[in-house]
Formats: sequence, structure tokens, C-alpha cells
Amino acid sequence: MTNTSKTGNVRLEWLDKFREINRSFPRTEQLLDYKNSGRKIFGWLCTYVPEEIIHAAGILPIRISGYSHETDLDDGTAYLYVNNCSFSRSCLQLGLKGEYDFLDGVVGGSTCDGARRLFDLWRNYIGTPFHHVLTIPRKYTERAHSLYHYEVEEFTRHLEEFLGTEIPDEALLESIKLYNETRQLLERLYDLRKRDNPPVTGAETMEVLNASYRMPKEIFNEWLRNLLEEIEASGNAYEYRARLMLVGSVLTNAEFIKSIEDQGGIVVTDELCTSTRYWTDQVVLDDSRSPRESVARRYLNNFPCARMYPSDERFDRIMAFARDYKVDGVISQIVRYCVPYSHDLPLLTKKLKGMNIPVLALDVEYGTSGSGQIATRVQAFLEMLEGRKK
Amino acid sequence: MTTVQDTNKLKSIVRACRLIQRMIVAEPGHRRSQVLYYDMLTKYFTRLLDAHENGDFVAAHTVFFPSELIYGMDLVPMHTETSTWMTALFTGECSDILTEGSTLGLASEICTPNRGLAGAFSLGALPRPDVMLWSNMVCDNTAKSGELIMEICDCPGFFIDRPFKDSPREIEYLTGELGDMVTFLEEQSGKKMDWDRMSEIVERMDRQIELVRQINELRKNVPTPFSPIGFLDLVTIDYLFPGQPEAIEYLETLLGELNEMVSQGKGAVEDERFRLMTLFIPPMYLVNFLEKICGEYGAVSVIEPFFTYWGEGRLDPAKPLESSALKSYMIPEMRMYGPLDERALNSITDCAEQYKVDGAIYFADVGCRHSCATIKIFKDTLNDMDIPVLTLDCDVVDHTATSEEEVKEKLERFFELLEDR
Repeated sequence: MTNTSKTGNVRLEWLDKFREINRSFPRTEQLLDYKNSGRKIFGWLCTYVPEEIIHAAGILPIRISGYSHETDLDDGTAYLYVNNCSFSRSCLQLGLKGEYDFLDGVVGGSTCDGARRLFDLWRNYIGTPFHHVLTIPRKYTERAHSLYHYEVEEFTRHLEEFLGTEIPDEALLESIKLYNETRQLLERLYDLRKRDNPPVTGAETMEVLNASYRMPKEIFNEWLRNLLEEIEASGNAYEYRARLMLVGSVLTNAEFIKSIEDQGGIVVTDELCTSTRYWTDQVVLDDSRSPRESVARRYLNNFPCARMYPSDERFDRIMAFARDYKVDGVISQIVRYCVPYSHDLPLLTKKLKGMNIPVLALDVEYGTSGSGQIATRVQAFLEMLEGRKK
Repeated sequence: MTTVQDTNKLKSIVRACRLIQRMIVAEPGHRRSQVLYYDMLTKYFTRLLDAHENGDFVAAHTVFFPSELIYGMDLVPMHTETSTWMTALFTGECSDILTEGSTLGLASEICTPNRGLAGAFSLGALPRPDVMLWSNMVCDNTAKSGELIMEICDCPGFFIDRPFKDSPREIEYLTGELGDMVTFLEEQSGKKMDWDRMSEIVERMDRQIELVRQINELRKNVPTPFSPIGFLDLVTIDYLFPGQPEAIEYLETLLGELNEMVSQGKGAVEDERFRLMTLFIPPMYLVNFLEKICGEYGAVSVIEPFFTYWGEGRLDPAKPLESSALKSYMIPEMRMYGPLDERALNSITDCAEQYKVDGAIYFADVGCRHSCATIKIFKDTLNDMDIPVLTLDCDVVDHTATSEEEVKEKLERFFELLEDR
């Protein structure tokens, strides 16, 4: 067998709708209609930015991402220099070209050097009206939670000042409910992939994930509910050479995953800021905390980025996912100059080796399709994994 | 990962410092500050070399880490990045430690000071620290370097989480982090923080910053009295000797010498023609060459907005921890590594005006993503003032990144351009 094969073979119509959103992003018909109806849209740059606060203010939050394919990044490179990650350069280039000119605000976090500088240059060179950057602590201590809560309060105040109106707790509670529902639905999608023969591929899942932060959640949730029903009814089931987990830097290109799956490896789970780190962990409301504090706590405690300390928190979660999804091998894809993940790789590899899970480490550029040398290395990795099963 | 105890890199640094010091002393009319400088370096690295033999507790720490607190507890600090830089500066050779860093699995995009550091510890080229202390003051590389070094050296560690911005709430958070770090060090070393000593250190740090400000004032003179690449000495003093008596002695001596030169109308270079702003650290292995070529062309770095141009504020000896936290936000570098707002950009325009700058050189360290992302915006800011900027691609440690000839050619062309204007 050289690639994944499918029984059932039912085309998923709701999946095509998600694909269509991604194909035309950022200037989707949906977003432009939203904007033309007089409502505001904000872009956010990192998963540590609390979307619920923006949503509760009556603004549509969308994730800023770059080109989902390989392309020259001349403008992005001229502004951010060649040694910044291609994700930051790609996002900035789209911004410089006016592709995000419908945004009313940009919100960033002090998460990594690339994200920080992307925010700095966006603020200086792209005329988006509202800008805010949150300090994101790197620890999980009570002191860190208190600081991040303060940052979320400050962000709220800044937003209220910009809008000239208060953001009531009732609105925030509604937003929390909506976003928690998104997380639950995405978790259901992931649960399907735990099956011995998953009914969806990693590439298909990535299409859903990409759309999740590119459209109103109210519509997304409805579409995803429909897709989940459609998948269950389809009887689709994939066979494969090995079950894989993807870890590492930001990734939005479903084609990259498809190129792995075309060779027979099925990506059953992942640890990416565009996937699991986006949907895991609910906002837990409790009487001892205000809704804003609950939001802040969720964002800091969420499945951590490699920026957080101690790294074991991230490693433990990866290992738990690897166990739950019965992973045969891990593919680490690190965008060049993505330093936090590069530093973690030797330690993570050692941990996974301790679980008898081999790691294929790929240096990639954001948007890469996974052809050429990458394909050859994936092929060899799959052969090795198959050899271990015999 | 095993560590072979071999401190040859430090021995090389100490040997080189002693040799340079002897050469300076042998020169007629030498400056006393230069002798003091190399004496300080010799003592710093010798103390480190002999630490374990003397039963001292070694605390390794990353750049901009508040090492004054280590001095306050009478422990031996080891400035990790500076140890890598000094290796490049004094031995000109870092390929062994860089290769070892790669062997450990660190990608080539990880900057050479940090990749080399992990390699140096792994090879035993730096002594094993008793604790590793690190922080996110600067960049992701410093924030992420500690855990691997803890693993390589099999030592405990402490990470200081420094907030990105400098609101009172964030400075308070950092103060709390520093307090926790002191508690950690007390537990690990068995020594107690001497708060009286710490207050004295803070008092001297405040004086130290004031002295650098006074030295910078003198550098405004035409001709400027301070040597073309001399700012690296000021940076090193701040990195290695915060609040130390020898730092005060050095800076007071230097200030006296510069005052004398100004009163005599003497410049650092014979015929000052180009007053330059330096926007990042030059490659260590080219420092002597740069000093020479600047002398030949009458070029001199008169100000470095993000390395010597301290922010406003005074430290309070009665509040040592708070002062240490505050200092972390006053450090010139932090205007570049923090939010790139008006403060950062205004410091460039202010410096350009006050120091009568003709041109600027940006040493674009290929390993430093954080700084390189500022090249465009800094260049635009200076070009708006009709000040040309030369960007030189290089690596602060790895000599294979650029050659002397290449740099020479670019500098000569830049000086010609300045001449034509």
C-alpha cells in the first residue's frame, strides 16, 4: 500500500463549504458581507489572544494567517528581514498588500519574537485603526495568572474606550458559551480520529480548523454540527500504513498534510497552534471568578505553546495525545527560525523515544506543500514505521 | 549527555586578557582605564575558573539577567552569552562548540551565542554551573536556552519571567519573580542574601548608570574623545560587573581621561570625519579590524541608542529588588527588544540630533531575528532625517558568516558615500 485508502468514499458536502471559505480567505464573501453590513472585524495574531472578549464587544475576531501555499515573500522579507519566520513574513506581506484592509483592529500577544515583531511592523506600516498587544506570562503560577487577568482587563478597557461603550458581563457569558461549544464540536471531530479506521483525514480536519477562525462561530458551529452528522452517516473509513501525530510550528496548509497522507500515513492527531492548541480546554465558569478572569485563566492554562515554562507541561500533553490516539510516529515540522520549537526538539525527541515513538524532524517554510525532499523523508519514515510493526 | 570537565575556553580568555594587558602597559602613554578593563576581565574569568576548586557556588545566567543579585549573595556569576562572545573575541575560533550545539539537535537558526553555549557546556569547555538561571529578557533564545543546559549539566535552574511591557503592574510582577529567584538561590547555595550588601550594590549601580550617562555627554563633543568601538567595553562592564566597586573605578577613570581629552580638544581618532551611530553589536572576531579601519577613515561610533543610551530613572538602594526590576526596563537594549513604539524610535532621532550623526551602521546579526526585524523601521526613521544607514550582514560569533575583505569593501564604499555628501 502506498497511500491511505478509503472505504465508504462518500464526498462530504459540508467539508466542501469549509474548503471554499479557506480558498478565498482573507477576502471571503462572508467576511466582506459582514463588514459591509456595518459591523467590525478584528484580526488576532496568536492563540493567547482572548477571542471571547472581542466577540463580546460585538466584533468578529478572525485569525490573521499568511499564504497557505509556497510563494515569494519579497515584501515580508524586506520589512521583517530574512531571518524571521516565514509565517510572520507571509502574514505581513498579505497585510502590506492590502488583503486585510477590512480589519478594524489588530490584537497581538508577546508570545514569540516573530509574533511580537509582526505586530510592531503591522502597527507601524499598515493603517489598521485599533492596535493592542497583551503581555503573556510564560509561567502558570498564581502570580502569572493574576498578571494575565490584569492584561485582559486592560485590553477590555482599551477596547471599550475605542468603541465608546461597555462590554457587559452578560455578553461575555454568551460569547464564552458559543466558543466553548466550538471547542466541544472540534473535540468531537478529533474523537472520530481515535478510531482504528478514522472517517476523516488530517488534511480534511485542517480544512475545518482553518475555517474555524476565519468565519463567525455562530455559523461555523452549525456547519460543523452538520459535517459531524454527515461523517457519521457516510460510513467512510481510512486504512493506512501508520498513525501519525504532527507537532511543532504554526501550520495552515492542508496540502502539506495531504502530501503525507498520500503516501499512506494518516495524521490522527496533532499539537499545533492552529489545531489542538486552539480548541482544547474550555473556559470554566465558577462563582469565585469573574467571567473575564475565567477567560484569562483558560488562555494561560491552555495546551501550551513551546514558549511556556516549564516545557514538561507541553511534553506531557503531547505524550498523552500520542497515547490516546495510538500514534506510531511523530512528525515534527518546524518553520525555519521558529526558535521556541527548535529549542524544545532535542528534549521532546528524548521524551518520545522513551515511549518508543520515533520522531521525524522536518525543517520547513510556512506554506510548504511537502513535496520533493520532504516527501522522500516521509516515505522513508513510513517504511521504518512499517518495519517496526512486523 | 555527559560532561567532560575541561575549562579550556576560559583559560584561553584569561591568557588573552593577560597578554593584552601586558601589551597595553608596555605602550608609552597608555590609558589606565584600559589596564583596569583587562584586569577586571582577567579576574572575572579567573574567579570562574577557580570557583569549584575554591568551593565557590557558580550561578550561570543569560544576558541581561540581574546578576547583581548573584553578587549580593556572594556567589560566582557566569555570564553565558558573554563567555561565548569572549571565546570568539579572544580565540577567534568557535567552530567546535557550534558543531557540538548542532550535534545536540539545535537547529542552525538558533543564534550562535546560544547554540555555542549549549555546545560549550556539552564539551565541558565551560565549567559546570551549580545552577542555571535564565530569563526572557531579550528574546526567545534566552527564554528557551535554560532547560537544555540544565539537562546537559545536570543542574537545577530557575527561569525569570519578565513581562513584555513596563507598566507598574508588570514591574511588580518582575519584582516578585526576582524574590522567588533569591529564595531559590538561598535554598540551592545554602547562603543567605545580604540585603545590606545588596543595597550598596544598587547604590553603585545607580552611580554606574550615571557615569555612563556622563561619558555619553562627553561623546557629544566634536571631535569625540571615546574610541571608535569602545562602547563594547561599556556594554561588557554593565553585563559582567553590575554595582561592583571595580566598575565604578573603571568608569571614573575613563571619565577622567575623556574629560582631559575634551579639555585638550583631542579626538579618539586623529582626523574625525564621520560620526556614526551603531545599531547592533559588531562581530567579535572583527573588533580589532573595525577599530583599525575606523581609525584609518576617521570614523567613530559616537552613540549606540540601544546599547549605551540609558533610559531615564534612578535606582533606590532602600528598595533593592524593586530597583533591580526597574533597571531591567531602563537598560538601553530593552527599548529595542521591547515594544517597538515611539520610545524606541524617538531614541534614534534624539541620538542622531544630539550626537550630530553623519551615518549609521546596522550590524545585522543573522542569528538575531528580533533585532533584524527592526532594520527596516530604523532605516526609514534615519533616512527621514537624511542619514544613510549601512546594513552589514554578519554573525556576532561565527567568523564563517562574513569575511574581513567583504566588510572592508562595504565600509569603504559607505565612507565614500558619506564623503560625497
